[in-house]
Amino acid sequence: MNRVSIRVAPAAQACTDPAIAFDGVRLDLGQRRVIDDLSFDIAPGEFGCVVGPSGCGKTTLLRLVSGLLTPNAGEVRRFGVTVKGPSRDVAIVFQDYGRALLPWRTATGNIALALEAIGLSRRERTMRVGALLEKVGLAGHGDKYPAQLSGGMQQRVQIARCLAQEPRILLMDEPFGALDALTRQALQDEIARLVKDSGATTLFVTHDLDEAIYLGDRVFALEANPGRLADVIEVDLPRPRDQLVTREQPEFLRLRHVLFDHVQKAL
Amino acid sequence: MNDWDIRLGSVLVALSVFVAWQLVTQAGLVQPIFLPSPVSTIGTLWRGLTQGDLLALTITTMERMFYGWMLASLGGTLLGGLIGLSRRARYWLTPMLELLRPLPATTLLPIGIALFGLQPRMLLGVIAFGAIWPVLLPTIHGFSAIEPRLHEVARNLGVSRLAFAVKFGFPNALPDVVAGMRLSLTACLIITVVGEMVTAQEGLGTTIMMAARSFRSTDLFGGIILLGLVGIVNNGLLALIERIATPWRAAQS
Amino acid sequence: MRATGIQSDGLALPSQIAAALLDLVADGEIFLRSVETIAPIAIGVLIGGTLGLLIGIWLGLSTTAAQLAWLSIELFRPIPPVAIIPLTMLVYGIGIRMEAAIIGFACFWPMLLLTRDAVAGVDVRLFEVARMLGLPRRKQIVKIALPAAAPRVYTALRLTLGIALIVAVTTEIAANPFGLGYAIISAGLSLRPDVMYAFLTWLALLGWLLNLGLTALHRHLFGAASRGVSP
Repeated sequence: MNRVSIRVAPAAQACTDPAIAFDGVRLDLGQRRVIDDLSFDIAPGEFGCVVGPSGCGKTTLLRLVSGLLTPNAGEVRRFGVTVKGPSRDVAIVFQDYGRALLPWRTATGNIALALEAIGLSRRERTMRVGALLEKVGLAGHGDKYPAQLSGGMQQRVQIARCLAQEPRILLMDEPFGALDALTRQALQDEIARLVKDSGATTLFVTHDLDEAIYLGDRVFALEANPGRLADVIEVDLPRPRDQLVTREQPEFLRLRHVLFDHVQKAL
Repeated sequence: MNDWDIRLGSVLVALSVFVAWQLVTQAGLVQPIFLPSPVSTIGTLWRGLTQGDLLALTITTMERMFYGWMLASLGGTLLGGLIGLSRRARYWLTPMLELLRPLPATTLLPIGIALFGLQPRMLLGVIAFGAIWPVLLPTIHGFSAIEPRLHEVARNLGVSRLAFAVKFGFPNALPDVVAGMRLSLTACLIITVVGEMVTAQEGLGTTIMMAARSFRSTDLFGGIILLGLVGIVNNGLLALIERIATPWRAAQS
Repeated sequence: MRATGIQSDGLALPSQIAAALLDLVADGEIFLRSVETIAPIAIGVLIGGTLGLLIGIWLGLSTTAAQLAWLSIELFRPIPPVAIIPLTMLVYGIGIRMEAAIIGFACFWPMLLLTRDAVAGVDVRLFEVARMLGLPRRKQIVKIALPAAAPRVYTALRLTLGIALIVAVTTEIAANPFGLGYAIISAGLSLRPDVMYAFLTWLALLGWLLNLGLTALHRHLFGAASRGVSP
């Protein structure tokens, strides 16, 4: 069986530029100041998690990186280049997977959409889609329509479609929020594995503090109204992480306390 | 572009349609017999309304339409209520009603004529007969599909049959009745015009038919404009009724 | 069966109706009339419906265009198709072209408005996905907007076909001496209620069959994607 490895697009320069850079970013939506003077960096290949109370602009953050929104002040940069709009090497996994998949296409068809945009031959597309389905554990379910798949499986289809873009940056908006606890844990481990394999820089938004520590290299705690960076916490836990072992480590528990205090203060 | 700009733009686009129409007729691209210029159409229309009997004819048609509509609405509501509340009536009549449901209102016009004859007074009856169905069927549904729990409540409270119909049945059916009345008015306009054409009664329908036969295209287009205006008035009236009777629906549209 | 005050020439016994229907089938007249009605429907829906569809797609995709066109649509839309009958008679005389023109006019508006609503109602999220994937505008329309709007457009088509049938029969009752509508009114006026009701029954049957066919087609086209979740 042909193994097609999912790789990140080669970086042309030996870049010291951060993969994602926020520089004094301010965003107003209507009368509300959603984000105020936000500045931070994410290094290439890093897994950054964003937590904060509702209204702190977590989702808006991702839209700024993706280029679906532009800031009122300040700059958002990807690999040193100012963001002007969506780009194929940035993929975003939406929380409402039901609305983000095309209901009239099968799982295969949905994943293939990303490849059709690049203009690959049908043979090449079929090969890659097959490999991706295997990678997200959906081999054999390719011919099912989204309505025939469970929530967790639909989210995996969306993840597979994003991976098909071979993104340099992967944005995830509370992707497991609508799923049950067991499925959530399985997908957490899967996403950690997939991201490590692909080498993409990841920005992961979640309201679940444990999840942020479990997955992230660094956790960015935001405060609300308006959204500002309250603190950045380094997560120095060993990888690969394990649902039982890692979560019982004293360092994990310490980080939980620290993060919990920060979020409490931010409320 | 703010709201007013868009609205102005919309007006300009509409105006340009008329300007284009005028230019086409002036350039002689289409025979004036088939397409008169907007200027001459408006002129003939104005003269017909102010000096001629066009206004009287329009009123005749509108009166016919509205009276027919009121008859159809009243009859449809009452009959629909009676049938809807009586299980036995529903049992016997439903098959026939289901058969008649897909038939368009205008096909009942020949039946109406066959039943009521071609007398001038009977045209009103024919219109009402054709337009009653859009009101009747939803009303039956509205009166019959009352929550069973409410039936029990009514029996517990010892509510009389009449009181039940008025306090429980009618409000439950009201959205359906209003929806039916909307369709009925649209049907009334159509049946009225067609009825006039077929029976050669005085009215807008006959007028534009005769205008066509004698190749008086300005009269014809003027009559079409008038009928369009009647349609606009109808839509406005229906929107108003819907907002008064079922205010929660108006918010959706 | 004889109602007071109502002319007895207006009613017929079911047995008489059945007999008349059999006669009409036997000498083929009912099929001839049906074709005379169906032909202009086909032409009118094809031309008027397609125009409405194309413009509806355009207005659905472009909010600006839809807003600019609003007044023009609201001015011309309320004109009842029956008012157009004398106009088409003036231009075409009687026959198939005249009826097809009226049907085309009547089909244009519902297809336009409902298609516009269907395309405009496509979930914004799907367009965002398309932008993230880097799909150019043309592909966005073909791969996302049109398939997403397809079920509602199909419903619009069903409604339009129903309207086409009504308008066709109405035109035949009012003016055009061809087709099922003409057969109905003609039988009614010549005091042959059995024939009149026979044609009416046939018309109801045709409408019912059309509805059946369209429902089956709907299930065939859109069924798989909307089947429930398997555990």
